[in-house]
Amino acid sequence: MSDHSRPTPFIEMRNISKAFGPVQALRDINLTLAPGEILGLVGDNSAGKSTLMKVMTGAYQRDSGDVLVNGRETHFKSPHESRVDGIEMIYQDFALCGNMDIAQNIFLGRWPRRGLFVDRRRMYEEADQVLKRLKVDVNSVFQKVESLSGGRQQSVAIARAISFDPKVVVLDEPTANLSVMATERLLETMSELKKQGVAQIIISHRLTDIFEVGDRIMVMKRGQNVGDRYIAHTTEQEVLELIVSGTPETALTADQALESRAA
Amino acid sequence: MTATTLAAPARRRLPLQLIGGWEVGLIVFMVLLYIAGVFINPKFFGQTDAFSAILRDTARYGVMAAGMTFVIINKDLDLSVGSTLGLVATVFSICFSKSYYDLGIGPSVIAAVLVGLGVGLVNGFFVTVLRVPSFITTLTMLFIGRGFVLGLTGGKTISYSEKALEAPWFFQIGETNALGFNNQILIFLAVTIVGMIVLAKTRWGYETYATGGNEMASIYAGIPTRRVRMRGYVLSALCATLAGLMNVAQDKGITSQYGQGAELIVIAAVIVGGASILGGRGRLLGGALGAILVVLIDKVLREGIPMTRTVKVGGVDMQVQGMAQLPPGAVPAFLGLILLIAVLIEPWIIRRNVFPRLWARLTGRPLPPIIEVGGVAIEGAQTKGSSASDSAMRARGPIGHFLARRDAAAIVLAILLWCVGLYLRPDFWGSIDNSFNLMLSFTEVGLLSIGMTYVIANGDIDLSVGSVLALSAATCAFLMKQMGFDPWTAVFIALMAGAAAGLVNALLTVGFGLPAFVATLGMFYMARGIGAWMTAGRQLSSFSETFNLLGRKLIDALTYFGIAPARGTLVYDIAAALSVQTIFMIVVAILAGIVLAKTPFGQMVYATGGNRRAAEYAGINSGRVRAISLVFSALCAACAGVIYVAFLRSFNPSAGQLRELDAIAAVIIGGGSIFGGYGTVLGALAGAAVIALIRALLSLQLILSNGQSFVMPQHWVNVFIGLILIVAVVGDIWLRQGDLAGTIRRRFFSRRAPAHGAARHV
Repeated sequence: MSDHSRPTPFIEMRNISKAFGPVQALRDINLTLAPGEILGLVGDNSAGKSTLMKVMTGAYQRDSGDVLVNGRETHFKSPHESRVDGIEMIYQDFALCGNMDIAQNIFLGRWPRRGLFVDRRRMYEEADQVLKRLKVDVNSVFQKVESLSGGRQQSVAIARAISFDPKVVVLDEPTANLSVMATERLLETMSELKKQGVAQIIISHRLTDIFEVGDRIMVMKRGQNVGDRYIAHTTEQEVLELIVSGTPETALTADQALESRAA
Repeated sequence: MTATTLAAPARRRLPLQLIGGWEVGLIVFMVLLYIAGVFINPKFFGQTDAFSAILRDTARYGVMAAGMTFVIINKDLDLSVGSTLGLVATVFSICFSKSYYDLGIGPSVIAAVLVGLGVGLVNGFFVTVLRVPSFITTLTMLFIGRGFVLGLTGGKTISYSEKALEAPWFFQIGETNALGFNNQILIFLAVTIVGMIVLAKTRWGYETYATGGNEMASIYAGIPTRRVRMRGYVLSALCATLAGLMNVAQDKGITSQYGQGAELIVIAAVIVGGASILGGRGRLLGGALGAILVVLIDKVLREGIPMTRTVKVGGVDMQVQGMAQLPPGAVPAFLGLILLIAVLIEPWIIRRNVFPRLWARLTGRPLPPIIEVGGVAIEGAQTKGSSASDSAMRARGPIGHFLARRDAAAIVLAILLWCVGLYLRPDFWGSIDNSFNLMLSFTEVGLLSIGMTYVIANGDIDLSVGSVLALSAATCAFLMKQMGFDPWTAVFIALMAGAAAGLVNALLTVGFGLPAFVATLGMFYMARGIGAWMTAGRQLSSFSETFNLLGRKLIDALTYFGIAPARGTLVYDIAAALSVQTIFMIVVAILAGIVLAKTPFGQMVYATGGNRRAAEYAGINSGRVRAISLVFSALCAACAGVIYVAFLRSFNPSAGQLRELDAIAAVIIGGGSIFGGYGTVLGALAGAAVIALIRALLSLQLILSNGQSFVMPQHWVNVFIGLILIVAVVGDIWLRQGDLAGTIRRRFFSRRAPAHGAARHV
């Protein structure tokens, strides 16, 4: 392995295994993520993509293997603990409270307070700032989330994630429920985040989206890694072949693939 | 690690296989219980007739359990079966009886069946088409039905044993046949067998299981789930109708108490029979056996156990040999407990492999694993109303902003209703006396609805507030009168009793993951039962005057402390219209209102109600928030109970009856959503004011033009309140959440050119 060509990874997952009863969801899987990198995670349904991410954030407990964040071994018991280390996950259904407004959702569970009470003015001001930083347009931070379209709701979810100043944002199927326009906007937002140095992992079925913004793509199959490629040096065709006929035995890391291509 | 998990499927016993042995287990348990019954009470259970008598009494519950099985497998609930039984029996009796309409047997039966069918259709319509949660619909139906029974009979007994001779074939149903057992048992058998065949062998049955198992998937598969659920309700109501007819055939008459509490026995029977309250699972044979078992337990409890008791007679302890008999009111306490235990068996005993694990531990073999369901809680997914338009964003001006508030309607309505009262009785409405009475009834509903606001905003429901009120009132009265406690200790313990009930609610909903309506339904029966048990046969009244001050007018309290203002001053008038309890309620309301609206805890309540999973992800301990809300609600109810005793100077077993309905209605009218996430204390108070005003208006003595006066009987007022609750819930779902008005307006506008008149018409 030629690690010299790449910066030290922010996240490194080694030999992760996880079983649900008799179902082996993850088997000896590795994953690395460099700072500021956008990694696409693809594979069939039940390939274990979401499970891998939930193991990373501490929503699930791994059976074996190591998760290293910034070179330090971690044992997150819940997503809150991984949040402290700068890992944020945006769920497929956004996990927002529709009955509350945008600002209340951005600060869900950590509403700024003054004395015993919620400091509403500061909350709305800061929510406004976060949305501006993300360059998304919503009418007003006072709007109830359930009255927003899917794309806007996702913007709120991302804004919420950003407000924690994360190092890594995991997006689970971010484009699954979005219109073409909203998808475009999301991809812009992701590039904007990358500029600000936030690493991202996208779980997606849509290769096109990953190829548009991603740096690297990792293919999973039945809980195992079957290949890893740099977006710049691969094609959708190759990735599709990996998804369909890749095996863990023939899996190459992105660097190995690059070397074999150069050879 | 991998090896054990891979070997697991071969060894693991699927829960389904275990449930297959459920019926056998029930029969074994029943035999044991009967033997125990013979052993402890040979006088009753030793007779050969007893077996037949139990089966006869089971027959009616068993028939209802058959219908209920369909409803519960559909993932619905029908709380109205008992009152449907009563209503059907009443309608039949009124049609048939000589002292009323004196119709023939044919028309009477037809009228009864039509009423039953109507109840089923109405239940089904509200639940499936209008999407009102089943427990709210059928609970309202329960109270409306009961109100009708009381209203129609006037609380009197109807009997027609002579006229019954004219139609022997019908009344034969309730008689013992030539083979020596009651014909009702035959009907029970027939209904069970037909039901079993329908459920296990026909499309109707398969559709039922599919709908309850996964309604979404069933819709995608083209199953008309609405019709299936509607069918469940109609079957349940028709079974209740049949049971009602069996009842009148047996007794040749009715009392207004018919079918009271039957829903508890029937639901407990179906759940004990192995059905899951979360739908998709259950069998009719199990339900029938469950009915026998629950009725047997009911009988064992009611017949009493011979035992030695120490009884205080005239201050002397005496050993009394006798039958320890439960007062009739206390039996529901046990049935409620059985219901809750039965509900908990499937998720906590079967899914967690408790017995196989215990066996393995005893035999020293490796433990079979707990079946991990991938983090799926046993609660059903929260149903959310469709998303509302953000009317607050479109509002202009202070009036527009006010009207965009969810609680605006309640505030406007409360003011309007007060004006109506003033219009109807200008001589009396504004007087100090009437204002005092209004404030008084407002206080009780208000206090309950403050706690209920938290619970409903959390996405839960508390059906037990009225019963907890009774429990705390009974405790308070019992301690002061019977145990000689001083008032303040008694009040403290009564509040603790209420809080304990709330804690049990919280433990069951949060700790064991039961849906709130099931847990609090259990408490609904248990709290009232325990209260009735404590106070049974005792005259609890005349307490110390310091205690009574809690329920007096402010002026009385001031006079007691010797600081009363002079008569005729404004301060005097205000002090005469206000009571101590109203002031207490207002203090609680202000505190609770500020906490809910302004503090992070209040935000946590809304977040938990809006999307519990999102709240959990955001680091909110939603379980703690829900538990606190449930305990707070119970505490409010307990306060209301203490005040009740102080005000009436005595305890009445009917304390707090129907109050859960009032409180829920108040919160919903005041802008709460039955699906959670909304509700304000101000709105709830306005809603409580609406309820109190409606009650006052309906029981207002009206002077008619011909000089006669007219007062609406209390039973009909209750029916009306039930209607208001259901209208409030439907209105909330369709107008506030679904924005029906907006949809119609948009449809109107898109078809025609925008016109000013159009908006006004919708």
